[in-house]
Amino acid sequence: MLIEARGLTRNFGGITAVDHLDLAVRQGELVGLIGPNGSGKTTTINLLTGHLAPASGHILVRDTPADGLSASAFAARKVGRTFQITQLFSRMSVLENMLVPGLARAHSTWAEATRAARRHLEFLGLSHLEKLQAKNLSGGQQKLLELGRALMLDPEILFLDEPFAGVNPFLRDEIIVLIQTLHAEGRSFVVVDHDIEAIQRLVQRLVVMARGAKIADGTVDEVRANQEVLLAYAGV
Amino acid sequence: MRASQIAVFVVLGALVLAFPLLVNAYWLTVAILALFYAIVAASWALLAGYAGQFSFGHMAFVSLGAYTSGLLVMSFGVPIPLGMAAGVVLCAVVGAAIGYTCLRMRGPYLALFTVAFSEVLRIVIVSENEVTGGSGGLEVTPLFHTRSDAPYYYVGLVLLGVSLGLMVWLERSRWGLFFRAIRENEDAAAAAGVRVLRFRVLVFAITSSFAGLAGGFFGHYIGILTPDIGSVDQMGLVVAMAVIGGAESLYAATVGALLCEALVEALRSYEQWRLVIFGALLLLTIRFARNGLLALAYQAVRQRGLRGLVSRKAGS
Repeated sequence: MLIEARGLTRNFGGITAVDHLDLAVRQGELVGLIGPNGSGKTTTINLLTGHLAPASGHILVRDTPADGLSASAFAARKVGRTFQITQLFSRMSVLENMLVPGLARAHSTWAEATRAARRHLEFLGLSHLEKLQAKNLSGGQQKLLELGRALMLDPEILFLDEPFAGVNPFLRDEIIVLIQTLHAEGRSFVVVDHDIEAIQRLVQRLVVMARGAKIADGTVDEVRANQEVLLAYAGV
Repeated sequence: MRASQIAVFVVLGALVLAFPLLVNAYWLTVAILALFYAIVAASWALLAGYAGQFSFGHMAFVSLGAYTSGLLVMSFGVPIPLGMAAGVVLCAVVGAAIGYTCLRMRGPYLALFTVAFSEVLRIVIVSENEVTGGSGGLEVTPLFHTRSDAPYYYVGLVLLGVSLGLMVWLERSRWGLFFRAIRENEDAAAAAGVRVLRFRVLVFAITSSFAGLAGGFFGHYIGILTPDIGSVDQMGLVVAMAVIGGAESLYAATVGALLCEALVEALRSYEQWRLVIFGALLLLTIRFARNGLLALAYQAVRQRGLRGLVSRKAGS
């Protein structure tokens, strides 16, 4: 397994945001993680990338325990992520945003990091903006830059938290193609979004959460036919 | 670099080197104190302007460095350079401890914590008067036994040059990039693989050691140390110097400190009103030039220069 959660639980005050979650992602999988608002999707990402510590349960990265590791330690283990609300280094240039993860990698050099950054910016169509401050980019460009910054870690698995939120249909299609291209290169993805149509186009496997727990896990068709999922979404 | 720029640098360099020969003893003292404040303001700019750690306890490290060196020299006969080095090391260690202690604090909480640390240290110095001399002060052996203060000026100049050089080198290194990333967004920095804890502790340790170095120099120049050197008033002055110059540029904070110290002394005839003028300048800077007056002036000169170039081309 590339990454695995075993009995993962996290509480906020009296609320259980993630409740004994078991989730495993294999090398090369493209998983969609969906669920109604407040179902614990973002908390799950935060737990699986070291941004939150679980109250109980275990996390394994490549079958090695990763309990208690910091977010930077997860990044060093090639676990990348983007955020629900885009988090950039606003007053730093686009290139500098890319260089931070590039230079944070062990044994990296400025020349290598700069080359990799420019290669990824080219891939994302942001090359011409490398000197611009990140805060001056459009919302869509900021999303792409955040994806590019995560790619600088050369991640084996990428958690994308709502990559299609607030994005126009053209850019949404562009992001889908980018994810498919990166997936074809062998990277694994867990994509959280409310855009069910985009998720269905993208993923092979769908995991559904409700009230902090996993209620369905299977192919898109299997999940569609799941009564518990319908109940969670529509209160049917 | 064009010949005219080289000429400007050569003339400025010559003026800086010849400064003790060009001014009287009073203005030489002002210049030496300005060099001291410049090291402190630049290191505070690295901490607050670059790394975003708005500490209000930086002058406490000046005090710690000064008293450490002073006490080691006076009580144990340690050579002055060794005493100053011990002050630098102690400030780095205590700075790292403060950085670690307030890892989860940001903004006003960090500022309040560091004010409290500063006041605790000041009160300890006042209370332990048998060791520190308390409010009456601690007499410290001067660095030089000369009639002129010129040697202090040159030592101050070298210390500022070396400190600023090291800070600029650091700022341009990957560590500088990480400091700025942490300032901008700690979560994103951590997700990008930056070890936020390590670098927050490091920036506190490094900048505190520069403050300790400045403190050691100050003590062995002034010859008497009082707890007031680490007071909140003094901290406010350093923050004002860095902010007026430009806290997000090491050069701007340095020049800001040099100019502000000169300004405060030039306005001495206005007595208490000089502080009002200084305060008004600070308020105007924060309101209209958040990157500092020097950055604003630099931009204005560049724009005017470009416009001049454009009009010359249009006219030709």
